[in-house]
Amino acid sequence: MAEMQNSNPTILNVADLPTRNRAAQKTRDSIPEIFAATPDLVDFLSSDSEDDDLLEEPIDEQEIYDLIKYISDPEHPISLGELAVVSLPDISIKPTLPDVIGSPLQTVTVLITPTITHCSLATVIGLGVRVRLEQSLPPRFRVDVRIKEGTHSTGDEVNKQLGDKERVAAALENGALMQVIAKMMETCR
Amino acid sequence: MLTMAPNLTLLSDLTPPSLERTWLTAPHPTLPLVATCSSDKTVRVYSLTNFKLLSTITGGHKRSVRTCAWKPHVQGESVLATGSFDATVGIWRRWDSYGRVGVMVAVGMLLATCARDKSIWIWEDLDDGDNNFETVAVMQEHGGDVKCVSWHPVEECLASGGYDDTIRLWREDLDDWGQVACIKKHEGTVWALDWEGPETTPHSSEQSLQAQWREQRALSGPRLVSCSDDRTVRIWRRLPKESALPSTLSSAATGIPSIIRPTGTDETWEEDAVLPQSHALVVYSVAWSHKSGLLASVGADGRIVVYEERLVASTPDTDAMDTESESRAPLKTEWVILAVVNGAHGIYEINHVAWAKRADRGSSDGEEVLITTADDGSVKVWTLQP
Repeated sequence: MAEMQNSNPTILNVADLPTRNRAAQKTRDSIPEIFAATPDLVDFLSSDSEDDDLLEEPIDEQEIYDLIKYISDPEHPISLGELAVVSLPDISIKPTLPDVIGSPLQTVTVLITPTITHCSLATVIGLGVRVRLEQSLPPRFRVDVRIKEGTHSTGDEVNKQLGDKERVAAALENGALMQVIAKMMETCR
Repeated sequence: MLTMAPNLTLLSDLTPPSLERTWLTAPHPTLPLVATCSSDKTVRVYSLTNFKLLSTITGGHKRSVRTCAWKPHVQGESVLATGSFDATVGIWRRWDSYGRVGVMVAVGMLLATCARDKSIWIWEDLDDGDNNFETVAVMQEHGGDVKCVSWHPVEECLASGGYDDTIRLWREDLDDWGQVACIKKHEGTVWALDWEGPETTPHSSEQSLQAQWREQRALSGPRLVSCSDDRTVRIWRRLPKESALPSTLSSAATGIPSIIRPTGTDETWEEDAVLPQSHALVVYSVAWSHKSGLLASVGADGRIVVYEERLVASTPDTDAMDTESESRAPLKTEWVILAVVNGAHGIYEINHVAWAKRADRGSSDGEEVLITTADDGSVKVWTLQP
């Protein structure tokens, strides 16, 4: 990276980022210990386990956030979560085809807030988020990654690129670009 | 409108499929086979007689094969052009042991390629036995990736669509290929184009109406259909040359010799129809049957939609004021959705749709199938049951 575009970004404390663990912790604390130690009998006795295997656990916004918050910024060794480039309230999951009853398709929309309005790396960051989600989520999810309105000077242009299936597919086969993306993913757990 | 709807029924999958995304399936112009391009860098050739894999073309491309097209009007030989993300075009030949009698015609010697670099190249197959192609023209008017090119069914005219949301038409004029029209109406990338067949007619119970319609169409020529990121499918019609005549005459009347391209080559293309909104996401492909005149579209929502054009019986106008212009008013048609299949490839996006002649046992003469190509590698063959 020749020159940093934003050499002094605002960084959030990792401990302050939204997580499910904290909520889960609280719930567990409130349950008397004797029950917590008891294995869930239903899990063991369930006879229709075949059906259970087919049932996916529902994926919620927090899970999407957890998948992308550790992605590193391409120019800082800091995560997108810490930089508030991605944030929980800017993630939504909606049925893709609400008029088709029983359709399993769901659209995950992630709005990205670049650290500066003219960040030329916005496309790479967006691509990183899209790749991460497409590789982690079941194929019934349609991934829609876009720049949050008003946070980037060429937001529409970036959105058009990120939404172009052919460009994204070609980018995935571009070694140089994928090296950058792989580096960003190194910090994902 | 859907009460008497025919059914789109799955006839067969093409097996074995690619295990990676397939982009497009091109039916052979004469033989009962198709070529499917895949992200696994191969092209698979399947039989439409038994839906089985005949051969796999490998080793030619270093990245995904994005598109392919068969050379039309050749006899005894099959020639396939492939385009890949590796920025190369491949030409593949195969001699058939059972050569058919083909018709030698002048068209079909030109190959058009389009690319991410905003350019369209037209190549001439020199057919010198040495696989030489000569560059005929390079057009760079598009403002972004050129996503698709499609040859006019009878004239030497090319249509292109792209990332700049435009559709452009190109013709050769005095040895020079140039843009003759630019249509800016889509509000998103134009993903695919297809031409109307020269011989189809909209559905109608009145033959006189159909005859009248054919006369009318003869003036403007086959129409063009486009589909886009904006989720619409639109039809475009060239204004008959007669309409352009006055301006040509007036420029001739000035008597000033023109150095620039004569305005006579410019064409005006009008929106003929917007098809009933039926896709919730990007529409990636559209196919216009040259046999039945039916249209089919597919896209990211996993839907196949089949449309039929019907002539609208003109209601006699009681207002006699305008009889002369009324009699010359163009016939109206409406597009009706004939069939919709949701989740045609399960949860996967559909990248391409094409019509082909049905060739399996149990097919009747002149019957057609619809072939759809999807992200999971599957290719499915459908029949439209009345």
